Amino acid sequence: MARTASRFDTRDLARIAVFAAIIAVLGLPGPIPVPGLVPITAQTLGVVLAGTVLGPLRGLAAVAVFELLVLVGLPLLSGGHGGPAVFVGVTAGYLLGWLPGAFVTGLVAHSGRGALAGWRVALGAVIGGIVVIYTCGIPVQSLVTGLPLGATIISSLAFIPGDLIKVVVATLLTLALWRAYPPAFGRRAERRGVRSAAPTSVEETAAR
Amino acid sequence: MTPAQPAEPHPGRPPGAVIELSGVDVELGGTPVLSGVDARLDQRRVAVIGANGSGKSTFTRLLGGLVPPTRGTVRVHGIDVERGRKALRAAVGVVFTNPDAQILMPTVADDVAFSLRGSGLDRAAVVERVAGTLARFGMSELADAPAHQLSGGQKQLLALAAVLIREPALVIADEPTTLLDLGNARRIGGILIDDLDAQLVVVTHDLELAARCDVALRFAEGRLVDAGEPAALIADYRALHA
Amino acid sequence: MIAVYLPGDSLVHRAPAGVKLLLLAVLGLALSLLPREPALLGLVLAGAGLVLVVLLYALAGLAARPLLRQLWSTRWIVVLMVVTQLIFLGPAEAANNTVRVVAIVVLAGLLSLTTRTAELLTTLERLLAPLARVGVDPRRVSLTLSLAITMIPVIAELARQVREAQQARGVRLGVRAVVPLLVLALRHADDVADALSARGID
Repeated sequence: MARTASRFDTRDLARIAVFAAIIAVLGLPGPIPVPGLVPITAQTLGVVLAGTVLGPLRGLAAVAVFELLVLVGLPLLSGGHGGPAVFVGVTAGYLLGWLPGAFVTGLVAHSGRGALAGWRVALGAVIGGIVVIYTCGIPVQSLVTGLPLGATIISSLAFIPGDLIKVVVATLLTLALWRAYPPAFGRRAERRGVRSAAPTSVEETAAR
Repeated sequence: MTPAQPAEPHPGRPPGAVIELSGVDVELGGTPVLSGVDARLDQRRVAVIGANGSGKSTFTRLLGGLVPPTRGTVRVHGIDVERGRKALRAAVGVVFTNPDAQILMPTVADDVAFSLRGSGLDRAAVVERVAGTLARFGMSELADAPAHQLSGGQKQLLALAAVLIREPALVIADEPTTLLDLGNARRIGGILIDDLDAQLVVVTHDLELAARCDVALRFAEGRLVDAGEPAALIADYRALHA
Repeated sequence: MIAVYLPGDSLVHRAPAGVKLLLLAVLGLALSLLPREPALLGLVLAGAGLVLVVLLYALAGLAARPLLRQLWSTRWIVVLMVVTQLIFLGPAEAANNTVRVVAIVVLAGLLSLTTRTAELLTTLERLLAPLARVGVDPRRVSLTLSLAITMIPVIAELARQVREAQQARGVRLGVRAVVPLLVLALRHADDVADALSARGID
């Protein structure tokens, strides 16, 4: 039987909680209006980063913590939404899709040995951040709205360009973080014996 | 400005309240950060001074069981820090520099109560102890306030309350006043120096605070280079940087 | 959907959070599964569902402003649904489906309006108890949830610091600012991990 949470030590718990908070903070600027349909948010960027930085299990846990907080009513979704309402609405499937999305992103991005490879990170972000999330989201949207599957897929295509931009951004951010602060990647960096030579202040860090 | 006062006997302190280090080396990721530390500390108030990166913080993390010694042994009040982690956690309270990182629960009362998690006390007893501790620190009115809305000084006071509610036999404080203004620094320093029954190890750049301890240690480049009566040791330290 | 707890002592407020969650699930499922054909019957059932939701709001003493705010907050869903469904399905079905979704979403809002977050967290911990058998410790889950709540303002403050540091230097990093934010946040996580260990959590 898979043992998940009990295997996390305090460092893991703190990172999981921090990433859940990061996903929340990324939603603070609110939705970014996109000409066409429903606005996009930077929160899915946080979901993908949870996978690429923390890896599959801890990334999944971070998204789960964030979503449980939303479920119990904290208005943490972009635009100040929260509560069980968002898990029964049109977007419920996408929201739940974030869970396997972060997991698969981390699985692909962290596959292979040695340094993080850019192509793996990008591939993980595409599969986990787009394919998996849509696969969960579209059928639920179709079910909830009563709109046939085909029509729902067509109406969802409008989001693909924005999501592709997010994949590129997530990949670049992940690789930049790998250069700036390898310990962010936890045990993976430790295995490689990467020592922290990271900048120490906000000022220095922001300068990169 | 009083120089070091003689140590007073503290009836609350159990016999054997001694910190002993012998032949201790600490390496982090293959880099030595502490080497050849030997010490026996039975004074109530121990000040630790030295430059940034001299190994002071590692020394406190060692005593708190947060890093293991690479070589040598560390015994805190009779507890081997490597073997007796659980007993160590019960005996030792740690106050860190940045109060933001020490506040773990959303509200003031929740955070203090969190320290009693796993203590076996029932709910009513926890509520009572928390109320008592908050009253002692003058924070009763803030019990239900969101912890992040406190001022920096109040946050560090909360961190201290959360540590002291467990009545540790040893309090380790790593630059507890560095981020505070003068008034709050004096207040926190006063509690640590004057009001505590527990043994205290305080790392500080505040030489005034160090002077009020019973013994001072100075670290440089990962070594314990000086130990003794605070006034003399601090005078030497000042001369070094004159 | 912007639902924050509104204190009260109505029956709805006093009902245990677990019961409310269960009722929400049952009513939500019923609204989704009740027949949509023929169109008139479907519309009547959907309308009845919405009326029931309004009655529950009345029971909670929230039938005026709070209800209107909840309804208003569903406007984007309504627009999205009506537009796509008119194109693909037709007016009767568009109305039927839209009313059902609005009813469920507004009902879920009632749970948030009448239940404290702390109570829902406690209920959640109880609901997660069976997961202990697959190695998920519900106490550690609720600890992590509380930690995350505590950290949100701290991370928001770090984001502000990163922004100000950029402004002070006259640079605009845009989305690249996420990198220093991640560095600071993950360092903060390591400090918090120390504090957890020091307070006896392994």
